[in-house]
Amino acid sequence: MEKNITVTTLFFSFAADRMNARQIQVPLAPGSTLGQLIEEQFVARLGPESQNWLFSVNQEWASRDLPLQDGDEVAVIPPVSGG
Amino acid sequence: MNITRLITDPIDVNEALGAIADPECGAQVFFLGVVRNEFEGRASQGIFYDAYVSLAEKELARIATELHDAFDIRHLVLVHRIGDLPVGTASVLVAVAAGHRPDAFRAAKEGIDRIKARVPIWKREHWVKGPDTWHDDASASHDVE
Repeated sequence: MEKNITVTTLFFSFAADRMNARQIQVPLAPGSTLGQLIEEQFVARLGPESQNWLFSVNQEWASRDLPLQDGDEVAVIPPVSGG
Repeated sequence: MNITRLITDPIDVNEALGAIADPECGAQVFFLGVVRNEFEGRASQGIFYDAYVSLAEKELARIATELHDAFDIRHLVLVHRIGDLPVGTASVLVAVAAGHRPDAFRAAKEGIDRIKARVPIWKREHWVKGPDTWHDDASASHDVE
């Protein structure tokens, strides 16, 4: 059996409030995708609207079908409001 | 010259003026976004700006490249300040220098519009009355104490 991988997930704005954390380490089965991470670990706490948010992996925008690697930095990006 | 960055210190307008100074440019357009004393009719005393700094700076640099591709401009400054900012404080600066004013105005407007739409920065409003809330947080209570 392949060893689990670990990814770091960052949260900002009200996503951090809902998670009560700015950063979480998550162990995952090898081959897990970004979409699986979000769906299985976070949507219940972030709320169903988080399905429509953007995400990044290693400081670059990423699609949900991206397979995650050990040590990746995922970020949950709720709707932005700069300016 | 291009400057694209997130900062915590006050926005330095003179630095931006210097960065875009060019004798071949007959137009300089400056836009300063300033923290307002209300949002949708509710009194505010300031805003806290959160950001994903590494991705935000990448996105600012991408917007700068896009603006150079889309408009005939020579110099560009895109700076966003983050942290706790009271009413009246400048939070964002877009400065453009171009040969002529039409492209300078258009690029400056596109610059601030793209920053607001895409750069991972978030506002939390410090209301005069009631607890702070994040913009666009549908779960936030909007009741005033």
